[in-house]
This record gives sequence, C-alpha cells and structure tokens, in this order.
Amino acid sequence: MIDLETVNANASRVPFFRFLNFEVQSLDSLHAEAEMTFEERHIGNPVMDHYHGGIIASFMEATAAIAVHPDFSEAPAKPINLTVDYLRPGVKGPLFARANVTRKGKRIASVSVITWQTDRDKPVAEGLYHFLLV
Amino acid sequence: MAEISKEKMEQIAQMWNARGKGLITHMALEIEEVSSDGVRVRMPFNPDFCVDTDQTLLHGGILTALLDSVFGLANFVAIEGVSTMATLDLRVDYLRAARSRADVIVNAHCFRQTRHIAFNAGSIWFDGHEDAEIARGTASFALTRGDVSLFEAMTKGKAS
Repeated sequence: MIDLETVNANASRVPFFRFLNFEVQSLDSLHAEAEMTFEERHIGNPVMDHYHGGIIASFMEATAAIAVHPDFSEAPAKPINLTVDYLRPGVKGPLFARANVTRKGKRIASVSVITWQTDRDKPVAEGLYHFLLV
Repeated sequence: MAEISKEKMEQIAQMWNARGKGLITHMALEIEEVSSDGVRVRMPFNPDFCVDTDQTLLHGGILTALLDSVFGLANFVAIEGVSTMATLDLRVDYLRAARSRADVIVNAHCFRQTRHIAFNAGSIWFDGHEDAEIARGTASFALTRGDVSLFEAMTKGKAS
C-alpha cells in the first residue's frame, strides 16, 4: 500500500487539488479520508461565507478518486458521473471527507462519499461517484 | 428566448459583480445570454482548474461547480420573489474528457418551478464545439419565498 506522504506529494502536483487545498489523512485499499482547508476562493454564498456546493462536490470527487486509485501518475481516476445530496450548509472552517469504495470491478468502480465538519453524524453532503478504470 | 426587463438584466449583472469574492469571482464568469427561458455563461480557461501537469485537462469538479452556479443564475432570472435558494441535489454526467484550453460555455435553464422547489438542467461544451458536449447535469433547488429578494441580500448584505 502506498504511503500517505507519497499520496499527498502526488496530489500536490495536481493544479486543481492545490486549488482545493486538502490533505489525505488516512488510506487503505477501500477508503480514503481527507481534510480541506477553508479558503476565500471556496465561498459560494458571499453573504454567509458558506462553501460553494461545487467545491464540496469537487472535494468529494477528489477524495473518491484517491480512494479508487491512490498511486496515479498522470491524472487522477477518470470520473464517469456523480450524484450529490446537500444536507446542510458548509460553513467557514475545515471540511472532512470519507470515501468508501463500494465496488471495484475490472472496468468500473463505485464510491460513496460523506462530508462533515464538526460532527460525523451531521453530514454536510453525501455523494455517489462512478469511475472508469480502463 | 422570452424577453426580460432591462431593470432585471441590470440587477443580474450587478449581483454577479457585487459578489467580489468566492469561487464565482475565480471562475471569471461572463454572462452571454439571459432570459427566463435559460442562460448562457462563458468561463475562460484557467490552468488552476486542470488535473494534469500539462494543464490541458479540466477537473470534473469545476464543471460541476459551474453547473451549480449557473443553475442558481437561471433560477434567479426565471423565478420571482425568491429570498433564498439552496442546492438540494445534483447529478452530473461527464460525457467526454474535458481536454482543451478553449473557453467553456454552459447553457442552463429551470424547466419546472413550484412554490418550494426548482428543477434545472444544463449542458457544457468547449467554445466552438457545441456538437461535442463535455458534461450534462440536472439539479433541484429548495426555494424560500419572502420579501427580501436574493438580489437585495446579495447586494446589501442581509442574511439569507
């Protein structure tokens, strides 16, 4: 299994992952967990300083791609599609994501992702992502 | 496309520009067409949104973010008397690899509105390649009706 330091070094070479500014905190063959730092550029609602829904979905997609293929060289795993449920506003502060690979076949992987802020039991969003492995 | 009032068009442009911070500012979106039937927005190429070191392949997430933003704009244009709007859910299909340094064009519209919910659909392609869609999305939004319009909240800083 690839070590966290290498995964984070790979991730830091992806321009959009730097834009998101997150760090992978744990990883095994079926899961990845990451923490994203709140940035001004992540704001979607400028009145309330909430995260943009698209940034939340992007962070979930990035975490899911790393769970599927942590030792990517050129680009992260190829996304096919996604569905996201937004459950609570993402407020100013760190955002956590946990990606769980529910099925990894020869060609396609399904990944479920959950994000939260202070309490894992109060998710900000949940999502399902498909990736093409070929 | 149905006509919209000059006043509303000016409000929309003001609202977009009044933000001054956040993701929409970084995306440098330009409104190309606006009507109650739909909106068309341009996003210039930005190397920060790429996944590869050559910076020619856009990350799917930025396309999702673009759809979410432009759905919001389409709802603002199409629906009167909305005080707040929150994305309930979003589905995006990535139809082909988004490999180009061309500007991105997104078309979005609200295809059904009720008192509480708006339903949206949209498509994305690279400028000049309308026949080769790179992503398509649908979303639903929870609406709150009220006296304080979204526009007022955005421009005057009232809590939404």
